[in-house]
Amino acid sequence: MNNVYVRGNTSIKSISLTRLFLVIPLIIYGFYKNGVFLYMNNYIGLLEMFKPLILILIGAFLGAIVNIIYEYIIKRRKEDLINTIFSSFHVEYGVIVACISSINTNILAFTICIFFIFLISKFLNNRINIMSVTFIAIYSIITLKNPYIFENIYELSKNFSLNFMDYLTGRAAGGIASTHIFLLVVALIGLHISNTNKGEITIYTCISYALPAIIYAIIRHINVIDILFLNNYMFIFTFVATDSVTSCYTTNGKKVYGILIGVLTFGFYFINPILAPFISIIVTSLLNNLIDRKVGVFSNKTSQIKGE
Amino acid sequence: MNKSISIKNNSLIQEDVENFLNPDYIYIPFYDTDNILVSVGKKVLKEEAIIERKNEIVYSSVSGKFIGTTESTYFDNKEGKCIVIENDFKEKVIDKKGAVKYISEYSKEEVFSLIKKYSICSKVINNGAKIMVINGIDQDPYERTYSFLINNHCQKILEVIDALASILNISTTILAINNHDNNNVVMLTNHIGTYPNIKLKLLPDAYPSGYKELVIKNTLTKKQANEGYIYMTVEDMYNIYNVLKRRKPITEKLLTLSGNSIENSKVLNVKIGTIIPDIIENCCDIVNDKYFVIKNGLIAGKTLTHLNQPITSNMRSLFLNTKSKDIERKCINCGLCNAKCPVGLNPKYLKEHKNADRSKCIGCGLCTYICPSKINFKPYLGGKDE
Repeated sequence: MNNVYVRGNTSIKSISLTRLFLVIPLIIYGFYKNGVFLYMNNYIGLLEMFKPLILILIGAFLGAIVNIIYEYIIKRRKEDLINTIFSSFHVEYGVIVACISSINTNILAFTICIFFIFLISKFLNNRINIMSVTFIAIYSIITLKNPYIFENIYELSKNFSLNFMDYLTGRAAGGIASTHIFLLVVALIGLHISNTNKGEITIYTCISYALPAIIYAIIRHINVIDILFLNNYMFIFTFVATDSVTSCYTTNGKKVYGILIGVLTFGFYFINPILAPFISIIVTSLLNNLIDRKVGVFSNKTSQIKGE
Repeated sequence: MNKSISIKNNSLIQEDVENFLNPDYIYIPFYDTDNILVSVGKKVLKEEAIIERKNEIVYSSVSGKFIGTTESTYFDNKEGKCIVIENDFKEKVIDKKGAVKYISEYSKEEVFSLIKKYSICSKVINNGAKIMVINGIDQDPYERTYSFLINNHCQKILEVIDALASILNISTTILAINNHDNNNVVMLTNHIGTYPNIKLKLLPDAYPSGYKELVIKNTLTKKQANEGYIYMTVEDMYNIYNVLKRRKPITEKLLTLSGNSIENSKVLNVKIGTIIPDIIENCCDIVNDKYFVIKNGLIAGKTLTHLNQPITSNMRSLFLNTKSKDIERKCINCGLCNAKCPVGLNPKYLKEHKNADRSKCIGCGLCTYICPSKINFKPYLGGKDE
């Protein structure tokens, strides 16, 4: 008999909550930038001020609902509600997708995309990065009518020339809660300390994207900072690329996975700068098993203890 | 990433060792190839040889009457036969020639022959080794057997380690203990000055640092490990002391008795051959009837399929515990099992590939303990029995 009697504290719930907790400062800043600030300057009404929070809450709520439907109705498992809500990472996925979406996102399109894609994803065998697929679906639906723009109404009304500090303090255009690079670095440190994040992926992705981007910027005399901190890239590399379920898990696998995403993102940047990281992540996530098998350390060569 | 993890053990353990030395019957497992040295109906004395097998002699742990054999007992979850001795509670010990010299005056050959005669170490002692490592760390974070043994017999253990080191021409002797085992750290630090040849090595309070492989890795360099060493536990040392000093075979042993289904965790001193239901009935206040009995560790131990099993010399602990209620979910690819495996294996890969080499697995169960998806890797991995 191989029963288990004691378990560690690490669980899907604890990992999810840690990641969500670390996104909170970014969400607060996003709420200020895309809600409070615009309302105080009379760009939007009172109800619209809450749109960033509404989108984030819808994302989290739909993630929870999908888990409840799957566990209670489809799987017929009887577990307490909190554990059911956090039985997979879908709550986190919902929040992250909301964070990277534009403030101009249509709430109905957002809701429909998240609900159906999340529900379908429960039946897939952990192969494709769900956050990327959902964002691409939202993007595709919105671009059927209008071009997809990240700038809020205030940013659209003025012309800006952004410097490094502006990017660092989140003044650049981007998703609802994904632009503040300084808070993102703090979140990354927190994720690293929590020991459950695949931080190597973020580091290798950033390096492998930054190197060709810097060379390209020097050759074409473009501002390097603009290319590096474009359209949520750093946030996506931190929270989307490191999705536990669809990324590599072996030491070498994580490195190769990160490098591949960075290089592909730079390649796809010339086709569609907004979707570039998402397409790269989807392509790479499809290869995660292969990468782990080819380069992963399946049996680390530790010292054989001889002698006795 | 750190390869071991700190596990908090909140269960309070009784301060003193409790004795349970008067079982009505003792049961000694035997195989068809064994030579039984006593006959049915005859009196048996304590410490009298009763079974002779290939490399081992088994001694009676009580005095009484050999009443026959039984086939309804199990050992290591396999059905087997046992010799049954009815205890007369007189503790009459067989007359034997006691030790006639100090333990440091024995020759190497005498020590080897006594260890073999009294079946102290199942392992073969490396004759030419220059390093000796003594493990004083409990394998499981919920066990306190070695800790209590050091606490109660500190002087004897140090004396025999020192003597053995000099008899076997050992140049380096290391006693590894847990750095959170405060009482023992203080006690050993106070006494170790008398034995300058023994080095005390404090290892971090992290699971699975009590496993042989990890103790060796943390105490010796690669070169030293490859050159050869002697590895023993403090329990082996205490048993060797009893043999060299008193010619006393292993008849009793310390056993941690714990788990969430009993009220008080304790360390018990029991007779070898005591049957588990006797211990449960006499020494446990059961608070939850739906328990399983697990031997040798709550994390890596084996669940006993039948309770009719006698205490054997390789048992360190018994736990009466309920099963974990966590639901097993799909793997989330987090890689924690791979990152934390102390011997560098990939449990996820081993689970998915039946033919993969799992010989290096030490069976510590850390992968199962750490898994956020609550996957039970135990059935897919190897693991060595002590």
